[in-house]
Amino acid sequence: MMLTAKNVSYWYDTEANTLYKDVNLDFEAGRLYGIIGSSGAGKTTMLTMLAGLDKPRRGEILYEGTSLQKIGLTQYRNRYVSIVFQAYNLLPYMSALDNVLTAMQITHSTQDNPTEYALNMLTKVGIDETLARKNVQKLSGGQQQRIAIVRAMCCSAPVVVADEPTGNLDETNTQEIIKLFQELAHDQQKCVILVTHEKEVAASCDVQFHLQNKTFEEVS
Amino acid sequence: MNFIKRAWQNVIFKKGRSLLLIIVMTVIMIFIMAGLLIRNAAVTTVNTTKQQVGATVSLTANREQAFSKMRKSTSTSTDKTTKPTLSMPSVSLASAKKIAKLQAVANYNVSVTTSVNASSIDAITTSSSSNSTMMGGGGPGSEATSSTSTGDLQVTGVLNMSTLTDFKNSTNKITKGRALNSSDVGTKNVVIESELAKQNSLSVGDTVKVKATTTGKTAYTLKVVGIYKASSTSSTSMGPQQSDPSNTIYTSYTLANQFKGQTGKVDSATYTLSDPTKKTSFLKSAKKLVNTKKFSLTADDSTYQALKQSMTKMASFANKIVWLVAIAGTIILALIMILMVRERRYEMGVLLSLGEGRAKIIGQLLVEMLMLLVVSLALAGIGGRFAGNALSKQVLSSVNSSQTTTSTSTTSQAGGPGGGGQAPSGQQGGKQTGGQMQQAGQTTANKAVKSSDLKLKISAVTLLQLGAFGFTIIAFAVLLASANILRLEPRKILIG
Repeated sequence: MMLTAKNVSYWYDTEANTLYKDVNLDFEAGRLYGIIGSSGAGKTTMLTMLAGLDKPRRGEILYEGTSLQKIGLTQYRNRYVSIVFQAYNLLPYMSALDNVLTAMQITHSTQDNPTEYALNMLTKVGIDETLARKNVQKLSGGQQQRIAIVRAMCCSAPVVVADEPTGNLDETNTQEIIKLFQELAHDQQKCVILVTHEKEVAASCDVQFHLQNKTFEEVS
Repeated sequence: MNFIKRAWQNVIFKKGRSLLLIIVMTVIMIFIMAGLLIRNAAVTTVNTTKQQVGATVSLTANREQAFSKMRKSTSTSTDKTTKPTLSMPSVSLASAKKIAKLQAVANYNVSVTTSVNASSIDAITTSSSSNSTMMGGGGPGSEATSSTSTGDLQVTGVLNMSTLTDFKNSTNKITKGRALNSSDVGTKNVVIESELAKQNSLSVGDTVKVKATTTGKTAYTLKVVGIYKASSTSSTSMGPQQSDPSNTIYTSYTLANQFKGQTGKVDSATYTLSDPTKKTSFLKSAKKLVNTKKFSLTADDSTYQALKQSMTKMASFANKIVWLVAIAGTIILALIMILMVRERRYEMGVLLSLGEGRAKIIGQLLVEMLMLLVVSLALAGIGGRFAGNALSKQVLSSVNSSQTTTSTSTTSQAGGPGGGGQAPSGQQGGKQTGGQMQQAGQTTANKAVKSSDLKLKISAVTLLQLGAFGFTIIAFAVLLASANILRLEPRKILIG
């Protein structure tokens, strides 16, 4: 298993308000996972723990059998995981290309020609070179989301987690992005985990986890 | 090095914020620069001017010893009708010259004071209803009994007029002709005061006849080689028995000696040292060359001390400015940066989520500030000098006002290095000279402080010092602001 949630429990204030208890999930490389559930169920919280942005209150997250605590959260985020946020979270003072290149540099990407690679990836999602060299604040929400996805894709991390990646995109763009995630999982053998509330997006995933009544139910 | 590129991109992108930070940092840097310039200039001024102002050492008769001798002779005398006579020994010219050859001496002057009676000209007479009670700094000359009558022209015999403090500090100015110098030794050349010249329609090249008050009232024909203008304030120092300052004429010391009927002697000698710090060693060497029981060597480095004191005050004030501005600057910049970090927490959250180290995020902030600091340093380099000039004028005037208060209180004290100009005959001329020298010394001290125009010079060292201050300030400001960065949790920032 590439990523494992082992007996994970999480609560915000007190244990009495437990979000979920003793959750066990397994994620393999080369597969696209979808976590679906109603708002406030705790989908994003699970994603943050899988992304190394937060720690479980009890239990642990294992990357290839090693606890994230042991690896170190910063190290884990730097080497093993890429994150796509719903609110894009691009660096506002940079162009699309620089955003991608910055992420590649921070995560120690091994690409020989990072600029060419980044431009290719951006072109794939409909961001041509002219747009790629523009400041991200001058681009639309949909374009910014695609850049955020490319940023995660270009990093050589084996795990990609995305929080509502298609939330701000139209149907055509959504299909393209889903296709990109599928390629990422199937062709690049990455472990891709999406959190979504859109059933169509979840249906495109290889494995779905339905979060309801504080439990995760696997739907193949 | 990625964070350096990010820093550059951020600085360029946020032009308004960068400009604001540059303005704030420039103001801080300008004040620090001004402080540094004043401090450095004060230190340099003390070092460079100590050679210029030097220190003076006067060789005069030992008054205490002379008084003691007088009292001794009075107690042993059987003739109670005879008044005690104060006998002030004259300085041997040979001894004076021997001391002048010591290494620390930059130049020297000798002084012989006496008086003569005007023969072919009229001396200026003054009538005053009130007498000043000020005695000047001279000594007991006027109280001493005189075996001769007092002439109506006061004679100051010198080696070189240009080294006299009154002429050095422009209290007296040569208006026509020239001042006396060593080439006038042995001549009958004279420099007279402009009012005396005007009253008697005398000009350079004319001759005047005078008669000595001693030695058989010999007549002398003197040639006017120069006319000087005495400061109008000089009359305030007149003693009760003195005539108008315009009646003071300058001759060579040899001629003054002839008037007094003596040779190879002078009333006092004044040595200007090349460096005030050599004062102690000079005194030690000079004392070996004279009979210290009969003569005293008195050092006067008041000019240097006054300058040093005022410059020390300036340097201390400048130091306070530097530190106050540095501390205030650090606080101001830290507050701005704390707000900036708060505003940029999403950006930092993204970087943290990408796995960027907190040290590199702090490094990015530091580099951004360093980039702006470079611009601020350049602007402060230009503006600091103007601010420094304006500030130094203020500081100097405040230092001078306190200095003047100190000088006023010290002037009221009698005695001093110039007090030895006492002729053995007890003529009042000696007293006048002494008083004049003392007052001149004080004036010089004040003048040195006032005229010590601080040369605020921007050097590479000053810029380096400023850079070091700037770097320390932003480093502290970034460190203080970093406390927020270290507390940042990417999940809370990015997801809520």
